[in-house]
Amino acid sequence: MLPDEILEQLNSKYPCRESQIQQLAALYNQAHIPSPSLLVAHGLTATGKSSIIRSYLELSSLPYAIANSRECITGRHLLERTVASCLDALDDYYDETIDRRPYARTENLSSLIVALGRMLEGRGKFVLVLDGVDKQREAPYTLLPALARFGESIPNLSIILITTLPIPLELHRPGTPHLHFPTYNRNSLLTILGRNPPQIFLQPPNEEHFPDYTPDIAAEDDAWLWGRFTATVYDALSRHTGRDVVSFRLAALRLWRPFVEPIVQGTFGTRDYSRLMVNRRALFQVEDSVLDRIIADNSILGTNINGANNSVVPTTPSTRRRVRTIAHDLPYYTTHLLIAAYLASYNPSRTDVTYFMKHADKRKNKRRAPSATAGVTKSKHRKISRHLLTPSPFPLDRLLAIFRSLLVESVPQVADLYTQIATLTSMRLLVRTGGVGSSDVLDPGAKWRVNFGWEYARSLGRGVNLEVGEYLVGGVD
Amino acid sequence: MDTKKCYVYAPLEQESRPSKRQRTSKSDPHAGLSERLKIYSKTWAEQEKKVQSTLEEADRATQGKIVDFVAANAPSEDVPRISIPTGLIVAGPSIASHGPYFERLGRGIRDVTNSSYVVLTSGESPNLKTFLKTLINKITSRVEDDDDEEDEIGRSVNSSVRGPKLLNFDLGHVQEWTSRNPVQSIVVAIQDSEAFNTAVLIEMVDLFYSWLDRLPFVLLFGIATSAESFEDRLLGKSLRYLDGQQFDVTQSDDIIEKLFRATIAHPDTEPHIGPNLCRRILERQKDHVQNTQDFVHGLKYAYMSHFYANHATIFLKYDAKFKDFSPDAFEAIRNLPSFRRYIEEKLEAGDTQSVRQLLSSDKFLFEVIEKLIVTVQNALSSLSIAAIVLTRIRESLGITPKVRLSNVWSRAASGELLDSPLLRETMLSIKKTPSDRLARLIDSLISLATEDFGLDAEQLQRELKTLVQDNAGSGPLRSQDDIRNESVRTTVVAQKVLLSKHKAALSEQDKAYSEIVARFYQRLESYFSSALVDPKTLLLYEILVYNLKSPHTEVFQPRPRLAIERALATPHDYLGCECCGNTPDRENTLAGTQPATAIVYQLYLESGAVINATDLWFAFHAIVSKDDEEDQSQTMYVMQMSTISNDTDHTRALFQRALAELKFLGLIKPSRKKADHVAKMMWKGL
Repeated sequence: MLPDEILEQLNSKYPCRESQIQQLAALYNQAHIPSPSLLVAHGLTATGKSSIIRSYLELSSLPYAIANSRECITGRHLLERTVASCLDALDDYYDETIDRRPYARTENLSSLIVALGRMLEGRGKFVLVLDGVDKQREAPYTLLPALARFGESIPNLSIILITTLPIPLELHRPGTPHLHFPTYNRNSLLTILGRNPPQIFLQPPNEEHFPDYTPDIAAEDDAWLWGRFTATVYDALSRHTGRDVVSFRLAALRLWRPFVEPIVQGTFGTRDYSRLMVNRRALFQVEDSVLDRIIADNSILGTNINGANNSVVPTTPSTRRRVRTIAHDLPYYTTHLLIAAYLASYNPSRTDVTYFMKHADKRKNKRRAPSATAGVTKSKHRKISRHLLTPSPFPLDRLLAIFRSLLVESVPQVADLYTQIATLTSMRLLVRTGGVGSSDVLDPGAKWRVNFGWEYARSLGRGVNLEVGEYLVGGVD
Repeated sequence: MDTKKCYVYAPLEQESRPSKRQRTSKSDPHAGLSERLKIYSKTWAEQEKKVQSTLEEADRATQGKIVDFVAANAPSEDVPRISIPTGLIVAGPSIASHGPYFERLGRGIRDVTNSSYVVLTSGESPNLKTFLKTLINKITSRVEDDDDEEDEIGRSVNSSVRGPKLLNFDLGHVQEWTSRNPVQSIVVAIQDSEAFNTAVLIEMVDLFYSWLDRLPFVLLFGIATSAESFEDRLLGKSLRYLDGQQFDVTQSDDIIEKLFRATIAHPDTEPHIGPNLCRRILERQKDHVQNTQDFVHGLKYAYMSHFYANHATIFLKYDAKFKDFSPDAFEAIRNLPSFRRYIEEKLEAGDTQSVRQLLSSDKFLFEVIEKLIVTVQNALSSLSIAAIVLTRIRESLGITPKVRLSNVWSRAASGELLDSPLLRETMLSIKKTPSDRLARLIDSLISLATEDFGLDAEQLQRELKTLVQDNAGSGPLRSQDDIRNESVRTTVVAQKVLLSKHKAALSEQDKAYSEIVARFYQRLESYFSSALVDPKTLLLYEILVYNLKSPHTEVFQPRPRLAIERALATPHDYLGCECCGNTPDRENTLAGTQPATAIVYQLYLESGAVINATDLWFAFHAIVSKDDEEDQSQTMYVMQMSTISNDTDHTRALFQRALAELKFLGLIKPSRKKADHVAKMMWKGL
């Protein structure tokens, strides 16, 4: 394939990356013109680094191998993978079978350079791409500097490192060419997304009613509406939340179906953009579309909108708090254990006498006071409410003591209580924290901590008719 | 005292160990044990079958959905996958039953779809490398070998030419395996996602995503808390790679209720579980652990102990012959309290002849037992049926509060149901039922009962049908007790308000309907009063019902902490020796004769959060050497400063050992807050 054809094809496939593609083509064009021994291609996520380099090399008829650091668990794993993929690439390119016995082990960088030198000896130019090498797990310290100097001993090897940030210092070698992939700007993003607009009508409208609505017109409408829509999404949401092409596309696709719903229902025409926009403005006022969720829940967006149609105030995240529920009820004593743990974490231990002593005490009456006086005796220094801070660790016996004082009836000292604590620990509702005896489970000095928030504790308490706020020092709003 | 290690070696030379108690009677405690084992395995096998089918039935719906999800997410050629299909299985807080659940799920997935299914737990995956190794081993069912070993035949194309070998955590192994065994998808189930290290989960998702173009992964996460809290733990990037659905598993208490219905309350069950034990098992489920496994284990243990410990259970054998039983077995029957009661009743009735025969002739006794055991069994099963009937009535009439079968049954089994408000209330509301509900109720009762239990429900149903068909009015027929047929009149007489109730005039049809209701009511009442007997009054109750709570409690709800605390605080309870026996006036007295550790522990209980070691020693010394007259004249201080006698040396050694033992038990810890003090770590009674 001629270089110009390659450029044309790549440019049509990856728009707005002309300069990068041109630079690549200039550096790695013909087999007989030397290429730089090392190139660092850097850019933030979703800027087309890996795909463009891969596509270019595929089209350029150069022998090449790619090792992806993401799939390599250790540094040695990367080295082994590199050798294996180089061998595979050479086998493919020269259509021969290299005797692999000498390459059985690649323990370190020295053996990598020996192996590469041996397999490339007497051959033409070879490109090795190490993708995401700055994110390599358990990488040896000398990995990058050594890679930078591979070209000195193997002249026909040229390495491309793909990284997120430029790494001139880590290489310990001046004068390394860098190829920057900048993030896409607004126009580029709109161009990229505008290339394949989704459909407005999943089923084409009834032919009897709309005989002149041909697929061509439909496609034109799709493109027109999608273009305006993506511009709005970008200005309203993605500019502030996720400017990279992937999250922008996700957000736009999530909003698209609820957005065009009135058109599908026939309320508005396909070109009534401004009226549609006003009608569906609530979509752009909530953050649901830019949040990443495992469970795709389009019903939330839909119900939101339908509710907003009737009321003047749109539902924003501040008014509609996500309800956090535990799907399954915990057993009775387990619930109490959790509440006791919450109290032990958030009450200072010196107040325990006031809050949990069972016998009638004069001081006991003081504890209901704070809600009335809190506003008056506000100190000059604004204090952060306790329940917003990290939970403090407590010893196990304190948890058990509070647990017993919360319950009216007495609980036998059965082993089941400890089983429950162990269960809660493996559910990460209780966490063993560092301390003197944190390694030993049986050590009484071990400290514990809760791993859930106030709202969960309160809902737990309401489940067993216990108002947790009454026992909490300082009270809560 | 931290550094010193000391031993007090004082062998007792004069007194030998107490003589062992030996069984002197000639009877063999294990008589008929193998017979009873056989009966046990037969009965338990039946129960277990019921349990398994109930469990499978309970989560069939959810499992079906998950299997469909896996099948629907099989990769297709034309659509490239942009995210990993993920099922979030909210399985509830009963962690112990997750294992069997995922096992059953795996069976379902393997049966229906052509997938490879792997379950991974947090214990197997402390870090990413181990996680991957386990995963690869489980998928390829490969025996782990060292890197240096020679390859077996057919390992891979690469290794056949001895080229670079894949490291043992490389997913390339899985790729090789899938090329040889093509599967639709690789289902990786993370059993306890909460216990996993978050970093491992994130890296796993990242890695799987990057392999997704080559390996068709499907992830299933078992979640004990909620799907939202699981999402919160992952990075936004990981969430973008996952795309899934949530599956809710049936609540554990619903399953327990179903299991209860299938096992304990099942009319054909034999032997029955008594009300006390049953209540205990259910309460434990409610209060402490929600766990179907535990429920089944408790049941199994009850069966085992019943057949192991009760000699007379041998009579539960099917089609037993007289010669199968030894005279001992009959003797055991004669010793049962219920049998004694039976004899006494007979005596009072003046039936001395048969009493004599029952007591002297084994043959006669056998015949009586053979007959009686069937009637008692029938009585017990009709008791279960009555409980089910009552629950069914309440369900179909929609009476609140809802009472579960387990509750009704345990009341019935303890003989409390007949006079209970529960039954009265239910019967009263039957009187007021309109015709449409009554029809539904009778239908459901007919569908429930295999044999008619004296209600003659079908006849009632026929009559009701004809009556309803003739009914011209729009509403259902109402009985005379229905409150809508009553009206309240107020009359003011001499400035006092009088309320008077008046019955509205009933139509002919309503009258006829009221008559049907009254008949139904009467029959039901007589049925309940005949079926709801107190099982404790039945003969051979001890054989047919297992109601002992003692071994069950000790096995399933041990109290380790209480045992240690009690042993230390009141050593007499365990030692039972005379020297440190309890004085009648005071419960616990400190005495020098008690074990040194127990003395120090009791002193420890009296002190605050930090204890001065010297004070403790003085107190200890005062108690231990109380009996010695010579020491009493000396003050502590003098004694410490003076030449330490041999005896004090011994006491000090005992003290140090006691302290060391307390430290070993985790009760005290050296304190850095105060010099010469130890910190108290545990409080009694928690």
